[in-house]
Amino acid sequence: MREAVAGVVLAVFAGSARAADVAAAASDPVSATPREAFLAAGIGTMIACGVTSFFLAGRVTERTHVALAMLVVLIGGFCLFTLFGLVGREIPVAGSLVLLGLIGLFKLMNQFEIRRKPTLLDK
Amino acid sequence: MTASALYFVNWWTDTLIIGGLSIVTWVALLVLYQVADTQPIFWFALVLSLVVNYPHFSATVYRLYQSPDNIRQFPVTAWGLPLILFGAVGASFWQPDVIAPYFLMLFLLWSPYHYSGQTIGLTMVYARRAGFPIGRRERMALSAFVFSAFVYGVIRFQQTGSGGGFTDVYGMSVPAFPLPDWMDAAAQAVMWTGVLVFAGFAFVWCLEQKRLMPPIVLLPALTHFVWFVPGASLKSFWIVVPFFHSLQYLLIALVMQLKVRIDGVGGEHSWRRIGAEARRWGSRNILGGMLLFIGLPAAFSWLPLPLMTTAGILAVAVNIHHFFVDGVIWKLRDTATSSALMMNIAEFAVPAVVDLARPKVAEA
Repeated sequence: MREAVAGVVLAVFAGSARAADVAAAASDPVSATPREAFLAAGIGTMIACGVTSFFLAGRVTERTHVALAMLVVLIGGFCLFTLFGLVGREIPVAGSLVLLGLIGLFKLMNQFEIRRKPTLLDK
Repeated sequence: MTASALYFVNWWTDTLIIGGLSIVTWVALLVLYQVADTQPIFWFALVLSLVVNYPHFSATVYRLYQSPDNIRQFPVTAWGLPLILFGAVGASFWQPDVIAPYFLMLFLLWSPYHYSGQTIGLTMVYARRAGFPIGRRERMALSAFVFSAFVYGVIRFQQTGSGGGFTDVYGMSVPAFPLPDWMDAAAQAVMWTGVLVFAGFAFVWCLEQKRLMPPIVLLPALTHFVWFVPGASLKSFWIVVPFFHSLQYLLIALVMQLKVRIDGVGGEHSWRRIGAEARRWGSRNILGGMLLFIGLPAAFSWLPLPLMTTAGILAVAVNIHHFFVDGVIWKLRDTATSSALMMNIAEFAVPAVVDLARPKVAEA
Protein backbone atom coordinates (compact mmCIF):
# COMPACT_ATOMS: atom_id res chain seq x y z
CA MET A 1 0.00 0.00 0.00
CA ARG A 2 2.76 2.39 1.00
CA GLU A 3 4.51 1.63 -2.30
CA ALA A 4 1.33 2.32 -4.20
CA VAL A 5 0.86 5.70 -2.52
CA ALA A 6 4.48 6.54 -3.16
CA GLY A 7 3.97 5.59 -6.81
CA VAL A 8 0.92 7.85 -7.13
CA VAL A 9 2.78 10.75 -5.47
CA LEU A 10 5.69 10.27 -7.82
CA ALA A 11 3.34 10.14 -10.81
CA VAL A 12 1.60 13.34 -9.70
CA PHE A 13 4.88 15.16 -9.24
CA ALA A 14 6.19 13.79 -12.51
CA GLY A 15 3.02 15.05 -14.20
CA SER A 16 3.42 18.45 -12.58
CA ALA A 17 6.99 18.63 -13.68
CA ARG A 18 5.95 17.85 -17.23
CA ALA A 19 3.14 20.36 -17.02
CA ALA A 20 5.66 22.93 -15.89
CA ASP A 21 7.82 22.08 -18.89
CA VAL A 22 4.85 22.41 -21.24
CA ALA A 23 3.84 25.71 -19.63
CA ALA A 24 7.35 27.03 -19.98
CA ALA A 25 7.41 26.02 -23.62
CA ALA A 26 3.96 27.51 -24.26
CA SER A 27 4.94 30.83 -22.72
CA ASP A 28 7.84 31.10 -25.11
CA PRO A 29 6.38 32.53 -28.32
CA VAL A 30 9.52 31.71 -30.25
CA SER A 31 9.00 27.99 -29.71
CA ALA A 32 5.36 28.04 -30.90
CA THR A 33 4.70 25.55 -33.67
CA PRO A 34 3.34 26.84 -37.00
CA ARG A 35 -0.06 25.43 -36.08
CA GLU A 36 -0.05 27.28 -32.75
CA ALA A 37 1.01 30.48 -34.49
CA PHE A 38 -1.84 30.04 -36.95
CA LEU A 39 -4.32 29.50 -34.12
CA ALA A 40 -3.01 32.64 -32.42
CA ALA A 41 -3.54 34.60 -35.65
CA GLY A 42 -7.05 33.13 -35.89
CA ILE A 43 -7.89 34.18 -32.33
CA GLY A 44 -6.47 37.64 -33.06
CA THR A 45 -8.67 37.97 -36.14
CA MET A 46 -11.72 36.88 -34.18
CA ILE A 47 -10.96 39.55 -31.57
CA ALA A 48 -10.56 42.11 -34.38
CA CYS A 49 -14.00 41.17 -35.76
CA GLY A 50 -15.54 41.54 -32.30
CA VAL A 51 -13.87 44.88 -31.70
CA THR A 52 -14.97 46.11 -35.14
CA SER A 53 -18.54 45.13 -34.35
CA PHE A 54 -18.28 46.93 -30.99
CA PHE A 55 -17.01 50.18 -32.49
CA LEU A 56 -19.57 50.08 -35.28
CA ALA A 57 -22.47 49.77 -32.84
CA GLY A 58 -25.23 52.15 -33.86
CA ARG A 59 -23.50 53.07 -37.12
CA VAL A 60 -24.18 50.00 -39.23
CA THR A 61 -27.16 47.73 -39.72
CA GLU A 62 -27.89 44.64 -37.65
CA ARG A 63 -27.13 42.62 -40.79
CA THR A 64 -23.53 43.86 -40.74
CA HIS A 65 -23.14 42.94 -37.07
CA VAL A 66 -24.54 39.48 -37.76
CA ALA A 67 -22.15 39.11 -40.71
CA LEU A 68 -19.19 40.02 -38.48
CA ALA A 69 -20.37 37.45 -35.93
CA MET A 70 -20.56 34.89 -38.72
CA LEU A 71 -16.99 35.71 -39.74
CA VAL A 72 -15.98 34.85 -36.17
CA VAL A 73 -17.79 31.51 -36.53
CA LEU A 74 -16.07 30.87 -39.87
CA ILE A 75 -12.59 31.62 -38.52
CA GLY A 76 -13.20 29.59 -35.35
CA GLY A 77 -14.60 26.73 -37.40
CA PHE A 78 -11.58 26.69 -39.69
CA CYS A 79 -9.18 26.81 -36.73
CA LEU A 80 -10.95 23.83 -35.17
CA PHE A 81 -10.86 22.09 -38.55
CA THR A 82 -7.08 22.46 -38.73
CA LEU A 83 -6.90 20.90 -35.25
CA PHE A 84 -9.45 18.09 -35.53
CA GLY A 85 -10.07 17.70 -39.27
CA LEU A 86 -8.39 14.33 -39.43
CA VAL A 87 -9.60 12.98 -36.10
CA GLY A 88 -11.75 10.51 -38.07
CA ARG A 89 -8.61 8.55 -38.89
CA GLU A 90 -8.40 7.52 -35.23
CA ILE A 91 -12.09 7.71 -34.27
CA PRO A 92 -14.36 7.09 -37.31
CA VAL A 93 -17.50 8.41 -35.57
CA ALA A 94 -15.70 11.70 -34.90
CA GLY A 95 -15.06 11.97 -38.66
CA SER A 96 -18.80 11.94 -39.30
CA LEU A 97 -19.27 14.61 -36.59
CA VAL A 98 -16.66 16.79 -38.28
CA LEU A 99 -18.48 16.41 -41.61
CA LEU A 100 -21.84 17.24 -40.01
CA GLY A 101 -20.22 20.24 -38.31
CA LEU A 102 -18.86 21.45 -41.63
CA ILE A 103 -22.24 21.03 -43.33
CA GLY A 104 -23.73 23.11 -40.48
CA LEU A 105 -21.04 25.72 -41.06
CA PHE A 106 -21.76 25.82 -44.82
CA LYS A 107 -25.48 26.08 -44.14
CA LEU A 108 -24.91 28.95 -41.73
CA MET A 109 -22.59 30.74 -44.17
CA ASN A 110 -25.34 30.45 -46.77
CA GLN A 111 -27.22 33.02 -44.65
CA PHE A 112 -24.27 35.42 -44.74
CA GLU A 113 -25.23 39.09 -44.94
CA ILE A 114 -28.73 38.50 -46.24
CA ARG A 115 -31.82 40.49 -45.39
CA ARG A 116 -33.25 39.12 -42.17
CA LYS A 117 -36.84 39.03 -41.02
CA PRO A 118 -37.68 42.03 -38.84
CA THR A 119 -37.24 41.24 -35.18
CA LEU A 120 -39.44 42.31 -32.29
CA LEU A 121 -37.03 45.19 -31.66
CA ASP A 122 -37.56 46.49 -35.19
CA LYS A 123 -41.33 46.68 -34.79
CA MET B 1 -48.61 28.12 -69.43
CA THR B 2 -46.57 28.94 -72.53
CA ALA B 3 -43.23 27.35 -73.39
CA SER B 4 -41.52 30.72 -73.08
CA ALA B 5 -42.80 31.04 -69.52
CA LEU B 6 -41.16 27.76 -68.57
CA TYR B 7 -37.70 28.26 -70.10
CA PHE B 8 -35.05 30.94 -69.92
CA VAL B 9 -34.32 30.46 -73.62
CA ASN B 10 -36.16 27.47 -75.09
CA TRP B 11 -36.59 23.71 -74.53
CA TRP B 12 -33.39 22.71 -76.28
CA THR B 13 -31.09 25.28 -74.75
CA ASP B 14 -32.39 24.98 -71.21
CA THR B 15 -32.46 21.18 -71.30
CA LEU B 16 -28.90 20.93 -72.61
CA ILE B 17 -27.43 23.51 -70.27
CA ILE B 18 -29.26 22.54 -67.10
CA GLY B 19 -28.33 18.88 -67.34
CA GLY B 20 -28.82 17.21 -70.72
CA LEU B 21 -25.29 17.87 -71.87
CA SER B 22 -23.73 16.57 -68.66
CA ILE B 23 -25.85 13.41 -68.65
CA VAL B 24 -24.93 12.72 -72.30
CA THR B 25 -21.25 13.33 -71.44
CA TRP B 26 -21.45 10.91 -68.51
CA VAL B 27 -22.97 8.20 -70.71
CA ALA B 28 -20.37 8.83 -73.43
CA LEU B 29 -17.47 8.65 -70.96
CA LEU B 30 -18.93 5.56 -69.32
CA VAL B 31 -19.18 3.78 -72.66
CA LEU B 32 -16.14 5.13 -74.49
CA TYR B 33 -13.63 6.33 -71.90
CA GLN B 34 -13.09 3.96 -69.01
CA VAL B 35 -9.30 4.26 -69.14
CA ALA B 36 -7.32 5.36 -66.09
CA ASP B 37 -5.40 8.09 -67.95
CA THR B 38 -7.48 11.25 -67.44
CA GLN B 39 -4.86 13.66 -68.81
CA PRO B 40 -6.59 14.27 -72.19
CA ILE B 41 -9.87 15.05 -70.39
CA PHE B 42 -7.99 17.29 -67.95
CA TRP B 43 -6.46 19.39 -70.74
CA PHE B 44 -9.76 19.57 -72.59
CA ALA B 45 -11.48 20.72 -69.39
CA LEU B 46 -8.76 23.31 -68.82
CA VAL B 47 -9.44 24.86 -72.23
CA LEU B 48 -13.18 24.90 -71.49
CA SER B 49 -12.40 26.52 -68.15
CA LEU B 50 -11.16 29.63 -69.93
CA VAL B 51 -14.53 30.27 -71.51
CA VAL B 52 -16.93 28.78 -68.95
CA ASN B 53 -15.54 27.95 -65.47
CA TYR B 54 -13.40 31.03 -64.93
CA PRO B 55 -16.01 33.46 -66.33
CA HIS B 56 -18.59 31.92 -63.98
CA PHE B 57 -16.51 33.11 -61.02
CA SER B 58 -15.89 36.42 -62.66
CA ALA B 59 -19.63 36.86 -63.29
CA THR B 60 -20.27 36.68 -59.54
CA VAL B 61 -17.51 39.17 -58.77
CA TYR B 62 -18.77 41.43 -61.57
CA ARG B 63 -22.33 41.28 -60.28
CA LEU B 64 -21.30 42.24 -56.75
CA TYR B 65 -18.74 44.91 -57.54
CA GLN B 66 -20.30 46.45 -60.67
CA SER B 67 -22.52 48.69 -58.61
CA PRO B 68 -21.51 50.90 -55.64
CA ASP B 69 -25.00 50.23 -54.23
CA ASN B 70 -24.20 46.52 -53.95
CA ILE B 71 -20.92 47.25 -52.18
CA ARG B 72 -22.66 49.59 -49.74
CA GLN B 73 -25.40 47.03 -49.19
CA PHE B 74 -23.03 44.11 -48.51
CA PRO B 75 -19.88 45.66 -46.98
CA VAL B 76 -18.71 42.56 -45.11
CA THR B 77 -19.00 40.39 -48.22
CA ALA B 78 -17.43 43.03 -50.43
CA TRP B 79 -14.53 44.05 -48.14
CA GLY B 80 -14.38 42.03 -44.91
CA LEU B 81 -14.50 38.59 -46.45
CA PRO B 82 -11.73 39.20 -49.04
CA LEU B 83 -9.52 40.41 -46.16
CA ILE B 84 -10.15 37.21 -44.18
CA LEU B 85 -9.52 35.10 -47.26
CA PHE B 86 -6.36 37.06 -47.95
CA GLY B 87 -5.25 36.09 -44.44
CA ALA B 88 -6.06 32.42 -45.10
CA VAL B 89 -4.12 32.60 -48.38
CA GLY B 90 -1.17 34.18 -46.55
CA ALA B 91 -1.25 31.43 -43.90
CA SER B 92 -1.38 28.77 -46.63
CA PHE B 93 1.58 30.34 -48.46
CA TRP B 94 3.46 30.54 -45.17
CA GLN B 95 2.70 26.92 -44.20
CA PRO B 96 1.95 25.00 -47.41
CA ASP B 97 2.28 21.67 -45.60
CA VAL B 98 0.42 22.51 -42.39
CA ILE B 99 -2.38 24.99 -43.23
CA ALA B 100 -2.83 24.77 -47.03
CA PRO B 101 -4.02 21.11 -47.00
CA TYR B 102 -6.86 22.07 -44.65
CA PHE B 103 -7.74 25.10 -46.78
CA LEU B 104 -7.97 22.78 -49.79
CA MET B 105 -9.92 20.16 -47.82
CA LEU B 106 -12.42 22.84 -46.83
CA PHE B 107 -12.83 23.75 -50.49
CA LEU B 108 -13.18 20.10 -51.57
CA LEU B 109 -16.10 19.67 -49.17
CA TRP B 110 -17.66 23.10 -49.65
CA SER B 111 -17.65 22.96 -53.43
CA PRO B 112 -20.08 20.01 -53.81
CA TYR B 113 -22.24 21.53 -51.07
CA HIS B 114 -22.37 24.70 -53.16
CA TYR B 115 -23.38 22.64 -56.21
CA SER B 116 -26.19 21.17 -54.10
CA GLY B 117 -27.43 24.64 -53.26
CA GLN B 118 -27.52 25.53 -56.96
CA THR B 119 -29.47 22.35 -57.73
CA ILE B 120 -32.12 23.28 -55.16
CA GLY B 121 -32.24 26.85 -56.45
CA LEU B 122 -32.68 25.75 -60.06
CA THR B 123 -35.40 23.26 -59.10
CA MET B 124 -37.23 26.00 -57.20
CA VAL B 125 -36.99 28.37 -60.17
CA TYR B 126 -38.30 25.87 -62.71
CA ALA B 127 -40.98 24.63 -60.27
CA ARG B 128 -42.18 28.20 -59.84
CA ARG B 129 -42.20 28.68 -63.59
CA ALA B 130 -44.21 25.45 -64.01
CA GLY B 131 -46.66 26.40 -61.27
CA PHE B 132 -45.56 23.56 -58.96
CA PRO B 133 -45.56 25.06 -55.46
CA ILE B 134 -42.55 24.10 -53.38
CA GLY B 135 -43.54 24.56 -49.76
CA ARG B 136 -41.72 23.56 -46.61
CA ARG B 137 -42.42 19.81 -46.95
CA GLU B 138 -41.44 19.64 -50.62
CA ARG B 139 -38.29 21.60 -49.93
CA MET B 140 -37.34 19.31 -47.04
CA ALA B 141 -37.75 16.23 -49.24
CA LEU B 142 -35.78 17.83 -52.05
CA SER B 143 -33.02 18.96 -49.67
CA ALA B 144 -32.83 15.49 -48.10
CA PHE B 145 -32.28 14.00 -51.55
CA VAL B 146 -29.86 16.60 -52.83
CA PHE B 147 -27.67 16.95 -49.73
CA SER B 148 -27.46 13.23 -49.01
CA ALA B 149 -26.47 12.67 -52.66
CA PHE B 150 -23.70 15.20 -51.99
CA VAL B 151 -22.59 13.29 -48.86
CA TYR B 152 -22.68 10.04 -50.82
CA GLY B 153 -20.60 11.63 -53.59
CA VAL B 154 -18.06 12.92 -51.06
CA ILE B 155 -17.69 9.42 -49.58
CA ARG B 156 -17.27 7.89 -53.05
CA PHE B 157 -14.81 10.60 -54.04
CA GLN B 158 -12.74 9.96 -50.92
CA GLN B 159 -12.77 6.21 -51.53
CA THR B 160 -11.94 6.16 -55.23
CA GLY B 161 -10.16 9.46 -55.71
CA SER B 162 -7.51 9.16 -53.05
CA GLY B 163 -4.42 7.05 -53.21
CA GLY B 164 -2.77 6.07 -49.93
CA GLY B 165 -5.10 8.33 -47.94
CA PHE B 166 -4.26 11.44 -50.00
CA THR B 167 -5.96 13.25 -52.87
CA ASP B 168 -3.92 15.16 -55.41
CA VAL B 169 -5.26 18.71 -55.78
CA TYR B 170 -3.24 21.25 -57.77
CA GLY B 171 -0.16 19.12 -57.22
CA MET B 172 -0.62 19.16 -53.43
CA SER B 173 -1.31 16.07 -51.34
CA VAL B 174 -4.52 16.74 -49.48
CA PRO B 175 -5.45 14.18 -46.80
CA ALA B 176 -8.57 12.18 -47.65
CA PHE B 177 -11.41 13.08 -45.33
CA PRO B 178 -11.91 10.08 -43.04
CA LEU B 179 -15.50 8.88 -42.67
CA PRO B 180 -16.98 5.74 -41.10
CA ASP B 181 -18.33 3.01 -43.41
CA TRP B 182 -21.92 3.27 -42.19
CA MET B 183 -22.26 6.84 -43.54
CA ASP B 184 -22.46 5.45 -47.06
CA ALA B 185 -25.59 3.42 -46.21
CA ALA B 186 -27.07 6.25 -44.12
CA ALA B 187 -26.62 8.76 -46.96
CA GLN B 188 -28.26 6.37 -49.42
CA ALA B 189 -31.19 5.73 -47.06
CA VAL B 190 -31.86 9.48 -46.65
CA MET B 191 -31.37 10.07 -50.37
CA TRP B 192 -33.88 7.44 -51.50
CA THR B 193 -36.39 8.49 -48.82
CA GLY B 194 -36.10 12.09 -50.00
CA VAL B 195 -36.55 11.19 -53.66
CA LEU B 196 -39.58 8.98 -52.92
CA VAL B 197 -41.29 11.64 -50.82
CA PHE B 198 -40.56 14.37 -53.41
CA ALA B 199 -41.80 12.09 -56.21
CA GLY B 200 -44.96 11.55 -54.15
CA PHE B 201 -45.59 15.30 -53.95
CA ALA B 202 -44.96 15.63 -57.68
CA PHE B 203 -47.35 12.73 -58.41
CA VAL B 204 -50.12 14.26 -56.29
CA TRP B 205 -49.61 17.58 -58.12
CA CYS B 206 -49.89 15.82 -61.49
CA LEU B 207 -53.16 14.19 -60.40
CA GLU B 208 -54.58 17.48 -59.17
CA GLN B 209 -53.50 19.43 -62.24
CA LYS B 210 -54.41 16.60 -64.63
CA ARG B 211 -51.15 17.14 -66.49
CA LEU B 212 -47.61 15.85 -66.39
CA MET B 213 -44.92 17.80 -64.63
CA PRO B 214 -42.56 19.41 -67.17
CA PRO B 215 -39.34 17.33 -67.10
CA ILE B 216 -37.21 20.47 -66.79
CA VAL B 217 -38.44 20.80 -63.18
CA LEU B 218 -36.87 17.47 -62.27
CA LEU B 219 -33.83 17.79 -64.53
CA PRO B 220 -31.60 19.72 -62.05
CA ALA B 221 -32.11 17.03 -59.38
CA LEU B 222 -31.57 14.21 -61.88
CA THR B 223 -28.39 15.88 -63.09
CA HIS B 224 -27.20 16.29 -59.52
CA PHE B 225 -27.84 12.59 -58.94
CA VAL B 226 -25.77 11.67 -62.01
CA TRP B 227 -22.92 13.94 -60.87
CA PHE B 228 -22.72 12.62 -57.32
CA VAL B 229 -23.95 9.03 -57.36
CA PRO B 230 -23.10 7.05 -60.52
CA GLY B 231 -20.76 9.77 -61.79
CA ALA B 232 -18.71 9.74 -58.59
CA SER B 233 -17.16 6.42 -59.60
CA LEU B 234 -15.93 7.76 -62.94
CA LYS B 235 -12.80 9.85 -62.49
CA SER B 236 -12.82 11.29 -66.01
CA PHE B 237 -16.33 12.62 -65.38
CA TRP B 238 -15.47 14.47 -62.13
CA ILE B 239 -13.03 16.61 -64.03
CA VAL B 240 -15.81 18.06 -66.19
CA VAL B 241 -18.52 18.40 -63.52
CA PRO B 242 -17.37 21.94 -62.54
CA PHE B 243 -17.73 22.91 -66.21
CA PHE B 244 -21.38 21.82 -66.23
CA HIS B 245 -22.07 23.55 -62.92
CA SER B 246 -20.59 26.75 -64.34
CA LEU B 247 -22.60 26.40 -67.54
CA GLN B 248 -25.84 26.23 -65.53
CA TYR B 249 -24.76 29.31 -63.61
CA LEU B 250 -23.87 31.36 -66.67
CA LEU B 251 -27.30 30.85 -68.22
CA ILE B 252 -29.02 32.28 -65.15
CA ALA B 253 -26.42 35.02 -64.64
CA LEU B 254 -26.79 36.14 -68.27
CA VAL B 255 -30.54 36.52 -67.91
CA MET B 256 -30.01 38.48 -64.70
CA GLN B 257 -27.48 40.74 -66.40
CA LEU B 258 -29.85 41.36 -69.32
CA LYS B 259 -32.60 42.21 -66.85
CA VAL B 260 -30.34 44.77 -65.15
CA ARG B 261 -28.99 46.30 -68.37
CA ILE B 262 -31.91 46.13 -70.80
CA ASP B 263 -35.06 46.00 -68.73
CA GLY B 264 -34.37 49.37 -67.11
CA VAL B 265 -36.43 52.41 -67.96
CA GLY B 266 -35.62 53.72 -71.44
CA GLY B 267 -33.50 50.71 -72.43
CA GLU B 268 -33.57 49.61 -76.06
CA HIS B 269 -35.36 46.29 -76.45
CA SER B 270 -34.12 44.31 -79.43
CA TRP B 271 -32.26 41.14 -80.31
CA ARG B 272 -29.38 43.28 -81.49
CA ARG B 273 -29.11 44.84 -78.02
CA ILE B 274 -29.36 41.40 -76.37
CA GLY B 275 -26.49 40.16 -78.54
CA ALA B 276 -24.39 43.24 -77.81
CA GLU B 277 -24.96 43.03 -74.04
CA ALA B 278 -24.25 39.29 -74.00
CA ARG B 279 -20.99 39.79 -75.91
CA ARG B 280 -19.96 42.69 -73.69
CA TRP B 281 -20.73 40.78 -70.48
CA GLY B 282 -19.19 37.57 -71.82
CA SER B 283 -15.94 39.17 -72.92
CA ARG B 284 -15.56 41.06 -69.61
CA ASN B 285 -16.08 37.85 -67.66
CA ILE B 286 -13.63 35.88 -69.79
CA LEU B 287 -11.08 38.59 -69.13
CA GLY B 288 -12.00 38.73 -65.44
CA GLY B 289 -11.73 34.96 -65.14
CA MET B 290 -8.27 35.00 -66.68
CA LEU B 291 -7.20 37.72 -64.25
CA LEU B 292 -8.50 35.72 -61.29
CA PHE B 293 -7.06 32.33 -62.25
CA ILE B 294 -4.03 33.21 -64.37
CA GLY B 295 -3.15 36.83 -63.58
CA LEU B 296 -3.40 36.49 -59.80
CA PRO B 297 -1.13 33.39 -59.57
CA ALA B 298 1.30 35.06 -61.98
CA ALA B 299 1.41 38.09 -59.66
CA PHE B 300 2.44 35.78 -56.80
CA SER B 301 4.85 33.69 -58.87
CA TRP B 302 7.81 35.27 -57.04
CA LEU B 303 6.93 33.22 -53.95
CA PRO B 304 9.27 30.30 -53.21
CA LEU B 305 6.50 27.79 -53.97
CA PRO B 306 5.66 25.70 -57.03
CA LEU B 307 3.39 27.75 -59.32
CA MET B 308 0.73 25.01 -59.12
CA THR B 309 0.65 25.35 -55.33
CA THR B 310 0.30 29.13 -55.52
CA ALA B 311 -2.40 28.82 -58.20
CA GLY B 312 -4.24 26.14 -56.20
CA ILE B 313 -4.33 28.16 -52.97
CA LEU B 314 -5.51 31.28 -54.79
CA ALA B 315 -8.12 29.29 -56.72
CA VAL B 316 -9.50 27.96 -53.43
CA ALA B 317 -9.78 31.52 -52.08
CA VAL B 318 -11.59 32.67 -55.25
CA ASN B 319 -13.93 29.67 -54.96
CA ILE B 320 -14.77 30.30 -51.30
CA HIS B 321 -15.37 33.99 -52.00
CA HIS B 322 -17.69 32.89 -54.82
CA PHE B 323 -19.66 30.61 -52.46
CA PHE B 324 -20.34 33.56 -50.17
CA VAL B 325 -21.13 36.10 -52.88
CA ASP B 326 -23.44 33.62 -54.56
CA GLY B 327 -25.39 33.18 -51.35
CA VAL B 328 -25.73 36.94 -51.00
CA ILE B 329 -26.77 37.91 -54.52
CA TRP B 330 -29.05 35.02 -55.50
CA LYS B 331 -31.69 35.02 -52.79
CA LEU B 332 -34.95 33.93 -54.40
CA ARG B 333 -36.87 35.83 -51.71
CA ASP B 334 -35.44 39.05 -53.12
CA THR B 335 -38.07 40.57 -55.43
CA ALA B 336 -35.62 41.85 -58.06
CA THR B 337 -33.90 38.48 -58.24
CA SER B 338 -37.06 36.41 -58.35
CA SER B 339 -38.65 38.58 -61.06
CA ALA B 340 -35.53 38.25 -63.24
CA LEU B 341 -35.55 34.52 -62.73
CA MET B 342 -39.07 34.32 -64.13
CA MET B 343 -38.13 35.87 -67.48
CA ASN B 344 -37.55 34.44 -70.91
CA ILE B 345 -34.73 35.93 -72.92
CA ALA B 346 -37.13 36.84 -75.75
CA GLU B 347 -38.92 39.23 -73.40
CA PHE B 348 -35.89 41.51 -73.50
CA ALA B 349 -36.39 41.94 -77.24
CA VAL B 350 -39.75 43.62 -76.79
CA PRO B 351 -40.62 46.73 -74.76
CA ALA B 352 -41.41 46.32 -71.08
CA VAL B 353 -45.17 45.80 -71.51
CA VAL B 354 -44.40 42.24 -70.40
CA ASP B 355 -43.79 43.53 -66.88
CA LEU B 356 -47.53 43.80 -66.44
CA ALA B 357 -48.12 40.31 -67.72
CA ARG B 358 -45.34 38.60 -65.75
CA PRO B 359 -47.24 37.92 -62.51
CA LYS B 360 -49.80 35.96 -64.52
CA VAL B 361 -47.01 33.99 -66.14
CA ALA B 362 -45.55 33.23 -62.73
CA GLU B 363 -48.84 31.97 -61.44
CA ALA B 364 -49.64 29.87 -64.53
